[in-house]
Amino acid sequence: MEPIWIVLIVVGALALIILLWYIATMNGLRQLEVKVNEAESGIDVALTKRFDVLSKMVDTVKGYTKHEQETFINVVKWRNNLPEELTIEQKEEFMQKMDAVQSGINVVVEQYPELKAEKVFSNLQHSISDVEEHLQASRRLYNANVSRLNSRIVTFPISIVASKIGMQKKEFFEAEVKKRADVDISF
Amino acid sequence: MDTVLEPLNKKKKVSEIIMALGGVTLVGGVLLFISGNTFIVMIIGAIVLFIGLGYFNHVGTLFKSKVLKKHLEEKIENCVYNPKKGLNKHEIMNTEFLKRPDRIKSEDYLSGELDGVKFVSSDVVLKERRVTHTSKGTRTRYVTYFHGRVFRFDFNKDFKGSVQVLESYRPKSRRNFEKVSLESVDFNDTYKTYATDDHTAFYILTPHFMESLMALEKKHPGNLGFSFLDSHLHVAIHNRRSSFSIRPFTKLDKDLLTRFDEDLNIIYDIVDDLKLNKDIFKEEE
Repeated sequence: MEPIWIVLIVVGALALIILLWYIATMNGLRQLEVKVNEAESGIDVALTKRFDVLSKMVDTVKGYTKHEQETFINVVKWRNNLPEELTIEQKEEFMQKMDAVQSGINVVVEQYPELKAEKVFSNLQHSISDVEEHLQASRRLYNANVSRLNSRIVTFPISIVASKIGMQKKEFFEAEVKKRADVDISF
Repeated sequence: MDTVLEPLNKKKKVSEIIMALGGVTLVGGVLLFISGNTFIVMIIGAIVLFIGLGYFNHVGTLFKSKVLKKHLEEKIENCVYNPKKGLNKHEIMNTEFLKRPDRIKSEDYLSGELDGVKFVSSDVVLKERRVTHTSKGTRTRYVTYFHGRVFRFDFNKDFKGSVQVLESYRPKSRRNFEKVSLESVDFNDTYKTYATDDHTAFYILTPHFMESLMALEKKHPGNLGFSFLDSHLHVAIHNRRSSFSIRPFTKLDKDLLTRFDEDLNIIYDIVDDLKLNKDIFKEEE
């Protein structure tokens, strides 16, 4: 075989290997992105569930205080003015506003211990604990997937594929960190 | 208690003397046989040793039924202890990470309630058949791949699907398991996590729960496996030990019961460390 053919075969084989690697890496990144999106929709589901349970709780405590009902109505108004698809930042804000409502409800419960004795309210308290557990799980799952995706995107040579397909680093859902801080609930 | 232990210790001593006599005779018999003498002494030695072992096991059973049972009943609510019974094959396979055995030995069944958490458990030995084909024919032998204790606890969270946290096992189930990486690098190094739904894995394995599983691994050396399925937690610890076995030439006394209490610690640790006793997640009936 002539040397030119050997060179051509080697170059062709190398090109094929690079092409296959490119496709495999691209698919891997896309799959990871799908996982991030799935995890984000998990956050949406958990936020919606929390919103639902919280609205029932507000309904139950409305006989005890008007303030929490007004705060909650403000949250509903704020939410209605936002687009259907929320950004991570808006989701964090949504979560913090619900935290504020929840804190208010907890204060009401402390002031009116008889609330705890109400079966409906007690069931809702169990529900909200469970919903929050699910929300935390969704948040952690989302952040774990984002962390994996982000670290891949910046790793050479995967970073080349990522920039070619226009994939960018994703935002972390960091509401948990801010949760303990005072939440601004002015509208 | 001493009035019960004293006669047992006497019987145990007799069994040990018989075993020692049998052992010495057997060794002497083997030496005689090798040097070209009769094999009768060897056979007699083996028979005496066998009788001694049988009697020793009988003393062990008497100790379990007369002393240990009462001791466990004092410590565990609604305690059921049966030294001759164990978890059945179906219950062991419910862990979904232990391989289907060709031979199974299950004993020292213990069930009850600790801090309101129901559990069942037993010592389990699982063996698989290995067939080797050689020029001289086929050789079949049974190899132990699990020797330890298997537990099933009530679990306080309702969840979808199944999650397995395994030190070195692999899921043995037709479920569509996927490997899940959690945030803790140390946890991922110690355990491999498999789940039918990654959200459920994150839901069950909270950071505190992961820390507790790591602590359990440090406290109880052995190969640990945890399976969360149908509101139950299945635990298997492969530590090559039988929990409540008496040893030859060791006195039956309160110290021995203290040693058995240490074996029970894993049950307390699982209930306490994993907060199985906190029923805050379940809806009220």
